Amino acid sequence: MPSTRALKNRIRSVDSTKQITKAMQLVAASKMRRAQEADKASAPYTMAAEELLSYLASQGATDNHPLFARRKINKRLIIVVASDKGLAGAYNTNVLKKYLELLKRDDERGIENLTLTIGRRASQFATRLKDTKIIGTYEDLPDQPSGLTFHTILNTAVNMFENGEVDAVTLVYTRFVNSMVQTAELDRLLPAGTKILVDPSEVSNTISDAKYEPSIPEVLDAVAYRLVGARLLQALLDARASEHSMRMMAMKNATDNASDLVDDLTLAMNKARQGAITQELAEISGGVEAMEQ
Amino acid sequence: MKLSLVTLVGTKVDEEVYSVSIPTTDGEISVFPSHEPLVTIARDGVITVRRHKEDSDNQLEYFAISGGVVKIDYSSVQILVDEADHGDDIIEAETQKALERAIKARDEAGDQVEREKAKQLIDRHMVRLKVADLHRRKRRR
Repeated sequence: MPSTRALKNRIRSVDSTKQITKAMQLVAASKMRRAQEADKASAPYTMAAEELLSYLASQGATDNHPLFARRKINKRLIIVVASDKGLAGAYNTNVLKKYLELLKRDDERGIENLTLTIGRRASQFATRLKDTKIIGTYEDLPDQPSGLTFHTILNTAVNMFENGEVDAVTLVYTRFVNSMVQTAELDRLLPAGTKILVDPSEVSNTISDAKYEPSIPEVLDAVAYRLVGARLLQALLDARASEHSMRMMAMKNATDNASDLVDDLTLAMNKARQGAITQELAEISGGVEAMEQ
Repeated sequence: MKLSLVTLVGTKVDEEVYSVSIPTTDGEISVFPSHEPLVTIARDGVITVRRHKEDSDNQLEYFAISGGVVKIDYSSVQILVDEADHGDDIIEAETQKALERAIKARDEAGDQVEREKAKQLIDRHMVRLKVADLHRRKRRR
């Protein structure tokens, strides 16, 4: 049986670990709340743009637009969204597993691919792979993904697609369903319009009766770029909300485990202490008995 | 007439208004209730909102927007923009500094791309300053 002092030291160390995981849990919880709010805020924009696009697509306006060009896929750009930091449960593992599946499938079909990574974990993983070429890595994105970095990523994807350097752009990210459920998913970013959520028959009359100024193609141009941007932003926001939710759960489990461990160790320590006292008493009474004889 | 001003980071306005002026690529348009359905493109500029018919000019509200898409029908106006700032949210001194930085960036730009980016920033800050100015005048009156 380990000594009481050794047990005491372990209890102390587990306790301090618990304090750290508890703190990380609280930090993740507050970040999660903010990330979720931001995630929800962009939904009305995406919805409105989707509705407009759905109508334009039904009018055949999208047929000749460069962002809607459907070509045979020979080359693909993959954007992998993972986190900068670990300790988020299975978050990174899930995304990277999905990414590997896609690489394997592309390999079988003879599709060449390029990778753009977001998050340190993704770049560390991708640099070790042989069968993909990395064209960019982005790390330490701000909590509110907007501004220059975001536009650089968006422009890279859009330009490569328009120039015909790639025939498809696929996102690998974690979709945020709710605080308990997050799933790693593949999503086609380009060509646009492969996944329009709004049914053309549901488009309100006001859109179909409307005049388009200066012209339908120009309106389409303005909407299409924005919608692709909104999709990418939504994916980044989803990924962020998922990351913080999963980190919070992971840290909550760690804290609970630490509490259980402390309880067990305290019990063991009390037993050890009691054992020592009993032994000492037995020795004393044994000594007294020996002297009396 | 219902006005919704929607940005990627959230809905800025979602309420009944009397009229709204929007800068579009074909010039500024003012939208009143029962406007015919129209879809058009907004450019960088100032959106002016009059909430009630009897509101005087110094009760107008201003927003600085950067390009977007406008969808109008008989009873609603929906504006999708990249960015929208209300007059209250713009800090004039900071915007002035940001504008100076952007002008400096344009003058020192190494290539065409950087210069274009800086120019866009300059336009955006100019619009913001204009809104801040309108807003300040409104309060003084």
